[in-house]
Amino acid sequence: MSNDLIKQYINHTLEHNKTPESVYLFAKAINMEEKEFYNHYSSLEGLEADIYKIWFENAYKTCADAEPWEQYSAREKVLAVFFAFIEEAKNYRSFAVYLKNRDLVKLPRWPKYLNELHEVFVDNMKPILSEAIGTNEIQERKYLDEKYVSGLWLNFLFVITFWLNDSSKGFEKTDESIERSVNLAFDLMGKSALDAALDFGKFLFQNR
Amino acid sequence: MEQNSIPSTKVERAMRFVKTGAQIGGNYIKHYSKKMLDPSMTKEQLHEDNAEDVYNALSELKGSALKVAQMLSMEKNVLPRAYVNKFALAQYSAPPLSGPLIVQTFVKQFGKTPQQIFDTFNMQSTRAASIGQVHEATKDGQKLAIKIQYPGVAESIKSDLKLVKPIAFRLIGLSEKEFEKYIIEVESKLLEETNYDLELQRSKEISRLCADIPNIKFTKYYPEYSSNKVLVMDWLEGLHLEEFLKTNPTQEIKNQIGQAMWDFYDMQVHEQKAVHADPHPGNFLMQADGSLGVIDFGCVKEIPEDFYYNYFALLVPEILKSQESIKRIMLQQQIVSEKDDKRTQDVITDAFIRMTTLLSTPFVTDEFDFSNNDYIDKIYALGEEVTNMKELRESKEGRGSQHALYINRTYFGIYSILNVLGAKVKTGQRNWKQPLMDYHLNN
Repeated sequence: MSNDLIKQYINHTLEHNKTPESVYLFAKAINMEEKEFYNHYSSLEGLEADIYKIWFENAYKTCADAEPWEQYSAREKVLAVFFAFIEEAKNYRSFAVYLKNRDLVKLPRWPKYLNELHEVFVDNMKPILSEAIGTNEIQERKYLDEKYVSGLWLNFLFVITFWLNDSSKGFEKTDESIERSVNLAFDLMGKSALDAALDFGKFLFQNR
Repeated sequence: MEQNSIPSTKVERAMRFVKTGAQIGGNYIKHYSKKMLDPSMTKEQLHEDNAEDVYNALSELKGSALKVAQMLSMEKNVLPRAYVNKFALAQYSAPPLSGPLIVQTFVKQFGKTPQQIFDTFNMQSTRAASIGQVHEATKDGQKLAIKIQYPGVAESIKSDLKLVKPIAFRLIGLSEKEFEKYIIEVESKLLEETNYDLELQRSKEISRLCADIPNIKFTKYYPEYSSNKVLVMDWLEGLHLEEFLKTNPTQEIKNQIGQAMWDFYDMQVHEQKAVHADPHPGNFLMQADGSLGVIDFGCVKEIPEDFYYNYFALLVPEILKSQESIKRIMLQQQIVSEKDDKRTQDVITDAFIRMTTLLSTPFVTDEFDFSNNDYIDKIYALGEEVTNMKELRESKEGRGSQHALYINRTYFGIYSILNVLGAKVKTGQRNWKQPLMDYHLNN
């Protein structure tokens, strides 16, 4: 039911080229009792925030249900989720572009309608990252590894913004941006020169 | 690590090339300063230094730059050996796409993952093609090869070629005007290669025409699972040249494969007037029973009629006896121009006739033994001599038709494969010379 509501909300927005101004007007436009609306959401903002979240949940499910998921490394799992998310969002690109033009994404901040997405993203990525620490795919670094998921979230926001501005055929450039940015993120999280540098810094500090 | 070291933006890629340009410049300075101290130093050392730097730059790029590296590696007559050995490496190595990107490509094209379409699908690529990679799969008991194109290849070709320009200047010593004509030709061919629909159609045409040639094998394509980014075909068994030779095939088998290859090209050039113009060893699979599998029809060069009649006329000794015909051909092929003075015309004509006489040796005998290294070395030597000719270096004109680029490349490719294979081939079986003689000598 809330899925239906979202569809109607998206359609209504695209057809009028603006979002409904109140729950009352929206409910009226779709022939619904206003109080029926409150059974699903408490406000239009709440509904909006659910949209990206649902896309993400669908994308994550598509990936986790597909055959290669279990054999994937953490890096590949993250890549798969990013690709699937863009694929899912593609169905509603016009709406996503509309929202982008209404509230600009200014890294590292994000508009309200992405709040729920942020939560579900963090909830789903954390287990993947801790698994990756377990298998030594990425490096355990005191204090810093808690920030990994925030870094990945910024990476995700970057990809979404890139896609919304992408004008290449079939969004090929977005595919490239995902492949390259996620690889970079994992290289940075993996054992790298950074660790040697930190280690050396510590040594200098202790032996002055 | 997959794909992490490919410089992604145009600026980064440009930087790579600039760096290489500077390094080559440095190598020249190093060479000449060393030479002042030690006059016995050869140019080989310099070429090796240059090849190393150029290759290192190119190997960090993908797509068209790799393709250009391959092309240069085919032009053995233009490039000294040191370059060729380095570039030959480029033919097999390219970093793989990540698993999720492969899945993504399938979902985009067919709405299904490869695992849903095929019974099995190996996520690790088995062979790298220059603008894509090959995966193994099975469906209904049939082993399949699936070629997937790197995303964004077609788009990056144009900018890459612009970047390659300064390197080509240095390496081959081409003048700007000369380059223009060829770069257009190369660009259009490279763009064609990214069009998998076209490849599918061409492979059908060529395999139909060449179906009767003994010992040649083609693969079957599946249009229902193919798109402009994905090609699905039957898996062709066999080994690449180098690995095949390690199995110690008999001379008879080697000759049989060489013969199949020669006949295959004879048929395309003289009958179809369109030729599989990418004869690098990665595109041929040799089997123990002496048959030759041909894959990759991405690069097909169509031969225009008037070009055909003039280019191949140079390979017919009877036609070369007539000074008048020679002059006409030289003009048509844009090797000399009316603007040249008489002496320049004569010098250049003479050099080209010497070159083509040498190159056409296999054509004018009934049988030719390609294992003869002297012959290949002579081609190199003369090739270097011609590129270093004062008359050519100082010429502001582009010399030679742009169509010759891919035809030359094709024949050097065939010669060098047959040379490495060590095959003896009956080269004089098809009578293609008569129509050419009629064309040139009777009017």
